[in-house]
Amino acid sequence: MLDIIINTIKNAGFVLVFPGILFVSIAGLLLAGIDRKVLARMQKRKGPPILQPVYDFFKLMGKETIIPHEANKTAFLGAPIVGFVSLVVIMLFLPIAGFEAPFGIEGDLVIILYLLTIPAVALIIGGSASGSPFAGIGISREMVAMMAYELPLVIVLLSVAKVAGGDSLAFSLNTIIDAQAGGELFITKWQLIPAVLAMLLVIPAEVGTQPFDVAEAETEICEGPLVEYSGAPLAMFKLNTAIKMFIMTALFSVLFLGGINLGIEGWYGIVLNVVVLFAACAVLTILCMTLIHAICARLKIEHMFKFYWTVVTALAAISLILVWIF
Amino acid sequence: MFDFLTIDFVRHFPVIAVMGLFLCAFLVEIFGAKNKYIRNTIVLVAAFGAFALITSLVKPVLFDGEILAYWMGNWEPVSGYAIGIGYEIDALNMFFALLVVTTILLAAIYSIKYMARDHHLGHYYTLFLMLSGSVLGLVLTGDIFNMFVMIEIMTFASVALTAFRNNKFGSLEAAFKYLIIGSIGSSMTLAGIALLYAQCHTLNMAQISAVLGSGALSPTSICAFALMFAGFGVKSYIVPFHAPAADAYMTAPTSISMVFSGMVNKAGVYGMIRLVYVIFRAMDITPIQLFLVTFGTITMFIGVTMALAQHDFKRLLAFHSISQIGYVITAVSLCTALGLEAGLFHAMNHTLFKGLLFLTAGAVLYAAGTTDLDKLGGLAKKMPKTAVCFLIGAFSISGLPPFNGFASKWMIYQATFEKATTTGNFAYAFVTVVALVVSVMTLASFIKVTQAVFFGQLPANLRDVKEVPLLMRIPMWIMSALCILTGVFYNFVQQHILVPAANAAFGVTKYIDSMMGEGTAAASGISDYAVQGVEGIVSIWNPKLWLILFAIVLIAVFIVILTGDNTRGRVLEKSEEDSEDGKYATFFGGEKSAHSHVSGSDLFWGFKHDFKGYFKFIQGMHSGVVNDYALWVVVGAALIVVFMFATFMFI
Repeated sequence: MLDIIINTIKNAGFVLVFPGILFVSIAGLLLAGIDRKVLARMQKRKGPPILQPVYDFFKLMGKETIIPHEANKTAFLGAPIVGFVSLVVIMLFLPIAGFEAPFGIEGDLVIILYLLTIPAVALIIGGSASGSPFAGIGISREMVAMMAYELPLVIVLLSVAKVAGGDSLAFSLNTIIDAQAGGELFITKWQLIPAVLAMLLVIPAEVGTQPFDVAEAETEICEGPLVEYSGAPLAMFKLNTAIKMFIMTALFSVLFLGGINLGIEGWYGIVLNVVVLFAACAVLTILCMTLIHAICARLKIEHMFKFYWTVVTALAAISLILVWIF
Repeated sequence: MFDFLTIDFVRHFPVIAVMGLFLCAFLVEIFGAKNKYIRNTIVLVAAFGAFALITSLVKPVLFDGEILAYWMGNWEPVSGYAIGIGYEIDALNMFFALLVVTTILLAAIYSIKYMARDHHLGHYYTLFLMLSGSVLGLVLTGDIFNMFVMIEIMTFASVALTAFRNNKFGSLEAAFKYLIIGSIGSSMTLAGIALLYAQCHTLNMAQISAVLGSGALSPTSICAFALMFAGFGVKSYIVPFHAPAADAYMTAPTSISMVFSGMVNKAGVYGMIRLVYVIFRAMDITPIQLFLVTFGTITMFIGVTMALAQHDFKRLLAFHSISQIGYVITAVSLCTALGLEAGLFHAMNHTLFKGLLFLTAGAVLYAAGTTDLDKLGGLAKKMPKTAVCFLIGAFSISGLPPFNGFASKWMIYQATFEKATTTGNFAYAFVTVVALVVSVMTLASFIKVTQAVFFGQLPANLRDVKEVPLLMRIPMWIMSALCILTGVFYNFVQQHILVPAANAAFGVTKYIDSMMGEGTAAASGISDYAVQGVEGIVSIWNPKLWLILFAIVLIAVFIVILTGDNTRGRVLEKSEEDSEDGKYATFFGGEKSAHSHVSGSDLFWGFKHDFKGYFKFIQGMHSGVVNDYALWVVVGAALIVVFMFATFMFI
């Protein structure tokens, strides 16, 4: 009985504190803040304080929620929560920073692949439920964008699984981490370098930052699916985007950087790992989101689709073939 | 309590189930043509009777591993030659029989209300029961000519049912296409059977397998194999034989569309498995595996891309049916334990979720009077229960966890990738990628339906749509529950249903011996496949873990309910300026004059734009002209014949 209680408390801790809701929200919002600050510095602006997304989140939480007359209320309000829950669940599958994933099981790679689609689906369902025409255009673009980045992402994951598994299967993140344990990070394998590049390009599309923010495109279709949202649901969606930034960069670090494990024992080892992981995520954010954002203007949806199914998919496929041959 | 169900007693059940359905088909017309109560009673008794008889065989056949051999009229083999019609029920056809009787029962319940507005229901139920009996007989029989007879009855009942609502646009055309293509398929099967009979002097499947033996096939048998393969391909609607499916599924009454996708094309899949695995025992030949995988992969890709281009709810579902059968064929043709189990599991799940989706489409048609995606919208408000069922079905078919589609698709990805690593053949890894991408496209396609039918704006003419009656919702709820249960308890399903079924396909000798007597298989040099069904696949099921997940989701739902009801969420009032047309409703953002609703068929604009060449080609190919489709079938069959000869002559 006592075991059950302790286990329940422990699991609740995983879900609520680390690596669940509290940790991932703070990490995500901080990354979003860093992104905005660095972007501003790149454009020679002063930029908002790094905590600005946190302030925004609490401000929005306090605002009134307005629901359009045409909206399907349950789906409209439920969508952001579903997206948020699936993101938190992904966190529980990720073995980051030398920390054993609470939900780590065989085959979690495929589960993560699926769970990653749910926030996008939630955004689509929410936008769709609002009944707004802007949202209609937005969700159509979101859907095409989803198909665009999913293909290269799948091939990247397969290449990594093949390298980690050797002759057998390795759809398990723990196996992928173990294969990199001796400091032989996958990012140093020459066969996987095209896959690394492909993954770096998948991240901004998955998060939906400029130039791949075709679905939200605020200057054009008023944030698309989010156009009718206000108050707490809007805050949740903004939070989801921020969390996605952290999760995608953390996934990158798991796949190619061995999940950042410095190998120091004890609780301060974990703390140190987490700090280094966050730093790595920040660097990745700046590299693949902020930098591209500062350089490029928004693409059209058909250009984005073509780019992902040709250039990025080709990169990933080259990697898969190299991995297969060597 | 069930002690009386001894093997010798239950041995008669399958035949009684089939005969009962056929008998009731005539009784309905004789006694039930005028009175709807008598009619419904006869139909429900027949459907429920078949269901009860077949499910009572689950324990002996699936759990205990018995094989029930039954000689009609006690015509046992004379000096080693089967002369009578034999029914042979092993775990493989038991598995398919379960799918069939479940579909029959639910379709019968659904039909009562759904068809109530139509006329000549006596004819409808006669045809429905004929169709049910023939498909059940097809999967249960052990005699190949009996199988052909059942295929014929099935085809002609299907044609008549497709044209049942002949006041509806396109239904006669669909029936005509079905008739032509179906007849070509049946003729090829018959030609194959004739050649086989000339070669083996027997029509019993077990004995044919024994007579063909383990040696090289004669050219006659190869030709028979190819023709029968093409014939069953037509019945399971794999590309390039798929063309009539879309029209037939769209125009048939929806309860029949569900029957088509739930059991008629499963019967084709069953025929293929029986043919390739057992009768010709050819599945461990690598070129045959690759050939079938190619068929499956092309089928799933073409099916889903055609589905993306559709703007009719039922036609879209029809193309998804084709696409999902592609998954089944791909997995089955791997000839690995995991692959065959995955294929069978997906076949079962397809029966469940596609049946569910067709039922919701039928509910929409019943309530709103149309299935055109461009004319529907916002129905979730009016039909919330149907919308929930639809979402469960859509998430299942898109393979989102924890629904059943996830478990089976996950097994398929794993099986194909495993095949790639064990054989070192890169083609299988490519198949894995295609399967994953097709899954994403399926999801996208169902989001389009969600947006176009259940969310989005409610057109003015659908303001007073009502939820469908309870009797139509019950089958939907049963299907939804099964979708969730088989997804969550997939371990149980695998252990008790899939592994026995897969072992039955792999264990050819047992099939032959229990029909033709011990030692027949050994005498003709036939051995089992080297692979055996496995129970321990890579686990995705951890009860504690999913319990926690469930708790999280429950809390989230609770939060939604709370926030949904609190006073802070202010619903914008309808302003007086608003016209009845939802197009000009009040929104928080955007100007009225800028409003233009994105209709269902425009949702993939970017995707379609980049693939306009492909879409132009593939839509041009689906010309709707039956001559073209017949040509495809003939060309496809010719290809199969050429390939089979090439394979068997040069290995």
